[in-house]
Amino acid sequence: MKCEQIAGLLPDYLQGTVPSEREKQIEEHLAECAECRDDVAIWNKLVLLPTEQPSLASRERFDALLEAYRSGRDDRAITSSTLPRRASFWDTFRWMRSPAGAVAWSMALVILGVFAGSRINTSDSHQQDLAAMHSELTNMRQLVALSMLQEQSASGRLEGVTWTRREGQLDPQVLSALMHTLRYDPSVDVRLAALDALSRHSGQPQVRSSVADALQEQQSPLVQVALIDQLVEWRDSQAAPHLQKLRQDPNLNPTVRQRADWAISKLN
Amino acid sequence: MLQVRNGAGETLGVLFDRYQTPLFNFYCRLTGNRSLSEDLVQEVFLRILRYRQSYQPGTPFRAWIYQIARNARIDHFRKTRPQTELEPEMLPPVLPTDSAQEQQEAALLNSALMRLPEEKREVLLLSRFQELKCEEIARLVGCEVTTVRVRIHRALQELRQIFRQLERTPAQSRAAGAAQHLPPRRLGNEV
Repeated sequence: MKCEQIAGLLPDYLQGTVPSEREKQIEEHLAECAECRDDVAIWNKLVLLPTEQPSLASRERFDALLEAYRSGRDDRAITSSTLPRRASFWDTFRWMRSPAGAVAWSMALVILGVFAGSRINTSDSHQQDLAAMHSELTNMRQLVALSMLQEQSASGRLEGVTWTRREGQLDPQVLSALMHTLRYDPSVDVRLAALDALSRHSGQPQVRSSVADALQEQQSPLVQVALIDQLVEWRDSQAAPHLQKLRQDPNLNPTVRQRADWAISKLN
Repeated sequence: MLQVRNGAGETLGVLFDRYQTPLFNFYCRLTGNRSLSEDLVQEVFLRILRYRQSYQPGTPFRAWIYQIARNARIDHFRKTRPQTELEPEMLPPVLPTDSAQEQQEAALLNSALMRLPEEKREVLLLSRFQELKCEEIARLVGCEVTTVRVRIHRALQELRQIFRQLERTPAQSRAAGAAQHLPPRRLGNEV
């Protein structure tokens, strides 16, 4: 047996999946050929490479991801389980730990102080103050979400998207930041999360058209499929021309094309 | 995995514990960048969570997870070209092993591995460390199984040649040679 013949058999031999009669032939060749023997030696030496351990923060990030995902889903499903309560309790602590959260938290305390002070002086305007403070806090929460959407790290921006899920009604500025994130964020995960968050605001016409427009710009098949699914879920018949245009792209991933065909048949 | 597919998010925690270290090591050895590897591991699990319905029961889970892992990395590098391939300071630190000689060999192997072209490094890692059979790798990379066998063999040959060459080169000139090959250092390579 020659080295060229060994080439097709050596990987299976090294993985221990070669039939025994072949194994004998290979070993006979190895006994004669120093180079092939050295290949085997290097393969065996690779065991020396140390196994790296991921940092402890990795598990924490994963737990945060799971919680954010759960709370996102539960918000949408409006189930009566205890999960939403657990998620919001947990989230309260998470945002307090982040720098933007800390700013918001301290500002909220200041407002609370002002409110307490004014309550002592003018108890008549109690209701008015309460309403003013409520709107102030809502604005501030949206401001925090807005600033987090511009974070450098993908996980920071992901957190920003999660923040926007807390609000029933989104400020036009936050909404437009989310739409921008959906179209241009470099991370696929953040774009997917933005789509998830936007899916709750389908009442807004600009959200629907932004999702349809995003379809043409996306390069990631994962995001494309998620966008198509969303348009089908909304039964948005105006999306059909966008889907037609998408499927004409010669470089389109075959799975995405299949999905687009399915969506077109659903929407027509 | 069936439980994850059917919606039990808690089960994903068990999968995370089982697969995060092998996945992290796969990415570390492939990219030489720890923080990027951690980001990519997170991305893999987010994708599992979102696309769990696409898992076909009865098919090997390991192959499915590496398919996702591969796509996550391809998507990442489609946007950002790798800057860190040969930067020694970004390479995983070599942990103390049984003897000084083994430790030195591990460091040399690591350097040799990082000098392999990425496609070769990938098939070698998948077959050597990620316990994927040639047939599974062929499905993963979308080519014939005979092609995969030849690629693994060529990767191993090339690794051997680089390793033996490094062994013959004294440490000092090795460092100087590596510095010449280094791409200019760029910061801010976050996802």
